Amino acid sequence: MAIKSFVQRVVSQPEFGPFVLLVVEIAAFSLRSPAFLSAGNISNLLAFTPELGMITLGMTLLMTAGEFDLSVGSVFGFAPIVMWTLYNTHVASLEVGFVIALLFAVIVGLANGWFVTYLKIPSFLVTLGMLLVVRGTALYVTDGFPQRTWTADSPLMNIVVGEFAIGGLYIYASLLWFILFAIILGYVLTESKAGNWIQAAGGNPEAARARGVRVTYTKVALFILTAVLSAYAGITSSIRVSAANPNSGTGYELEVIAMVVIGGTALSGGRGTIIGTVVGILILRTMRNGIVLIGVPGLAYNIFVGGIILAMMALHSWLERRHHAGT
Amino acid sequence: MPEELVRMDRINKFFGRVQALNDVTLSVNRNEIVGLLGDNGAGKSTLIKILSGALRAESGEIYVRGNQVKIRNTTDAMALGIETIYQDSALISQLSIARNLFLGREPLRAPRFLDRLDHDTMNEVARKLLKQVGIKKEIPPTTPISALSGGERQAVAIARAMHFESELIILDEPTNNLGVEETQGVLRFVRGARDSGHSCILIAHNIYHVFQVVDRIIVLRRGKTVADDIDPKQTTIEAVESIITGMPIS
Ligand SMILES: Nc1ncnc2c1ncn2[C@@H]1O[C@H](COP(=O)(O)OP(=O)(O)OP(=O)(O)O)[C@@H](O)[C@H]1O
Ligand SMILES: [Mg+2]
Repeated sequence: MAIKSFVQRVVSQPEFGPFVLLVVEIAAFSLRSPAFLSAGNISNLLAFTPELGMITLGMTLLMTAGEFDLSVGSVFGFAPIVMWTLYNTHVASLEVGFVIALLFAVIVGLANGWFVTYLKIPSFLVTLGMLLVVRGTALYVTDGFPQRTWTADSPLMNIVVGEFAIGGLYIYASLLWFILFAIILGYVLTESKAGNWIQAAGGNPEAARARGVRVTYTKVALFILTAVLSAYAGITSSIRVSAANPNSGTGYELEVIAMVVIGGTALSGGRGTIIGTVVGILILRTMRNGIVLIGVPGLAYNIFVGGIILAMMALHSWLERRHHAGT
Repeated sequence: MPEELVRMDRINKFFGRVQALNDVTLSVNRNEIVGLLGDNGAGKSTLIKILSGALRAESGEIYVRGNQVKIRNTTDAMALGIETIYQDSALISQLSIARNLFLGREPLRAPRFLDRLDHDTMNEVARKLLKQVGIKKEIPPTTPISALSGGERQAVAIARAMHFESELIILDEPTNNLGVEETQGVLRFVRGARDSGHSCILIAHNIYHVFQVVDRIIVLRRGKTVADDIDPKQTTIEAVESIITGMPIS
């Protein structure tokens, strides 16, 4: 009886379905392709994942608060342009450029938040506009050309994305940062007062406001957090691949939102899970990596992503309905 | 002479060109249960929203314990010990019972890293409160509100008002959509509130319910106070109905 109810509780967690999917996926790929679990492939998998993952962590909290941000990919592309352009033109040192790039992200987040909360424009429209403005600016200031990055040598670069080896695995420092951010934000969401406010703001903003929750402040802060994480991820990426391309990050917004909802966070707000999000990130990254290894053309990737989204949404809605029927 | 807890004085409120409240005065004494009656659109909700900080009046004064106060938002009202319970909207259905109870006034514990919640206290107090408001079923405090019945939700809202020692509890149509049993539970709570040292304003369309529990009835009609000292023991339901509608008893 106790065991049964324990199992039932585990199974009804929103993270359970995605977790099973991830296990199945890893099992299937490693059976089909021995190269899948090789150190080289895992290193490969863990190189880019933290970068997309950082954006996804911010997006999880933002979506739990009932908003989302389509401008993350543009900020991902533009922030490194700001940093490297300032550096290459000798306007600022790399460190100062780094800080200015993050400040720029704060302004983007503040603007998104202000339009959404004060002017009460849906975040879809606001951040769609911001996506175009920021991307357009990146293309305009660079004439569409990548910025040079290989002339720099700063300890900052090692702190952000320095490479080191554990056994046969090559790991970037960005993975450690991602794990740290995930732990802190997971803690914030479930264990802190801020997390209570985030869920309340997304669940029923009017009722939350009536209890003295600062809904506007909470949402604006999360828009800023998401933008800053996107900028930081973009800078990380530019250092790792030694290129600051004004087009980079294009289309990330949808992949990030897909990862968040696959993990079990509600698109409508009020419920969110960082653990689920981490699983969601791994599901899509593993999928992209694995289908190429087992010989499916990479171009087919989106079919799988779409299928997974639909399947997971069906699962979450079924769990939700069963949950309500049971009471 | 009973001690006056809250007094709203000559309150005026417009929505565009519609005057929802016209020089309305309302007072509530300590340990007093006041029924606020009136037809649809009479201005009852508007009046208590001004008192609970959800709306602001164009003119008029509010006194609490004899001191003039400014109530700019719901936080101000709660700080003055005024708590409002609506039928829906007041709870967040995705959050657990315990999280709802303490929303906006979360207890924290050490180490306070990033304002860490004190889940143990929250759950323990929630469990105790649920018993107090008469939920006999064993409902874990971590249950989301969406899994509760209408009456249980109402009980949670009431529990919240009780726990934070509000001196004045306002209930705007608290028995809407409730079953017989649950309605009786709410009315029992209102009666009990007086004994535990609270005052109440009860808004309800069912005059029978109001008659059962209140000490005094105030009637609004089209934004004006038309009666403010009806003793339910000295009058009939028909007489009050005629005051509400403004039509003589047929
Ligand atoms: N937000 C608003 N905007 C415009 N007019 C409003 C608004 N809120 C209330 N009113 C108007 O003010 C008047 C009083 O409304 P109120 O909600 O206070 O009535 P009520 O006495 O609570 O009625 P009911 O018993 O139906 O709840 C009505 O004429 C209503 O149409
Ligand atoms: Mg009303």
